[in-house]
Amino acid sequence: MDYSSDEDVTAAFSGGQPDALTLVYERFGPLVYSIALRSLGARPDAEDVTQQAFVSAWRSRDTFDRRRGTLGGWLVTITRNKVADALRERQRDSRVLLQVAGGAAVTAPEATSDRVVDRIVLADELAQLPESQRLVMVLAFYSDLTHEKIAHVLGLPLGTVKSHIRRGLQRLRSRLEADGVAH
Amino acid sequence: MSHTDPVILALRALGETAGLPGDAEHAETCALCRAELARLTEVVRLARDEGAKERLETPPPQVWDRIAAAVGAGQPPAVPALNGTSAPAARDAGKRQGSRARWPRGRLATGLAGLAAGLIIGIGGAAGIVQLTKAPATRVVAQIELSPLPQFPQWQDAAGTAVMRATASQQLMVVTLRVPRKPGFYEVWLLARDGVSMISLGDLNASHTGTFIIPPGTNLRNYSRIDVSLQPFDGSTQHSKTSVVRGSLSASALDGGATSSH
Repeated sequence: MDYSSDEDVTAAFSGGQPDALTLVYERFGPLVYSIALRSLGARPDAEDVTQQAFVSAWRSRDTFDRRRGTLGGWLVTITRNKVADALRERQRDSRVLLQVAGGAAVTAPEATSDRVVDRIVLADELAQLPESQRLVMVLAFYSDLTHEKIAHVLGLPLGTVKSHIRRGLQRLRSRLEADGVAH
Repeated sequence: MSHTDPVILALRALGETAGLPGDAEHAETCALCRAELARLTEVVRLARDEGAKERLETPPPQVWDRIAAAVGAGQPPAVPALNGTSAPAARDAGKRQGSRARWPRGRLATGLAGLAAGLIIGIGGAAGIVQLTKAPATRVVAQIELSPLPQFPQWQDAAGTAVMRATASQQLMVVTLRVPRKPGFYEVWLLARDGVSMISLGDLNASHTGTFIIPPGTNLRNYSRIDVSLQPFDGSTQHSKTSVVRGSLSASALDGGATSSH
């Protein structure tokens, strides 16, 4: 498994290097933003939460302990907390609106399900796979092709496809167990 | 008996009937293999989940600007969202798109073409800004801050940006607005210098963003101001006279890339 780049990012972050936040944002910006967007719906809110999550992560970087978990998992937790804050704020706003309007029920926004967060984490890890392995996994997941057909279509040796599938699935599983929330 | 080959477990998790009959039997009776198969199957189920359209989206560039401003970091990301970072996200979007349709086995070529198309469509499915930056040879001509007007104090917290992009054949305007949700809808206009003539570019979506083609031949030296109005649902096509935010194209932007100006 090749986690070297995530490890580099984590090391830079833990070490408080000046450009570490840039690296962390490049690597995890889409993950954080996608979770926020899926949870909140509105882009401006998702942008706010993304900003808050990274600013908060940077300011509390001393509390991050790489021996206790991954940077990705830590960021997912921070993002979920910020999302929860934003949802509470919305609920407050809608209660006020409700009092003012004195009428129709306002449905409380639902928190993002663990499954949704896990699916986004999965999408993020898929995007990290080397190109050829990623293509194999995409075909294996979504195309209904058998691994023999995938090998044929991509012009890859059967053994390579098998190994991509085995390692790919295990890598996705490890990432989900480390950074996901439903496990 | 030895444990089931990990490759066979992985293929079984994907729904293939791989291995010998003995493998299936072992995987069912051996707690270790059964647990491993269950974990891999869960990954596959999660990936194939039909319920959602999970995909990675790259945050728009202003998010990093705001983070950098908040923590005092100076430099923008070395790989700003407009090129590098958006690539994996966009590709990923393509995968999710591709997952909507399952390809029949007999149509491999179509399937692969579909995958390629999916990758491209997926880019379009992501945020408008990603779509535009991945389109061939577009370049940013201008980035305009949109601000509330003093005569509309109720909009003092509103803000927006308009990014103008040009390709060889057309000019596009990507407008994002930060405003509370209100009854009605937000419409984007180009205002002429006389303060009377205007061109409607179109309406913002529910997330308060929109991508518009600037009508070819528009004289942007005259129609140099961008205005966003809140329109009531009254059927009128006229500007509601409620301007939420406004901004102006700078002269340098006009010189730099206004290919359609006269």
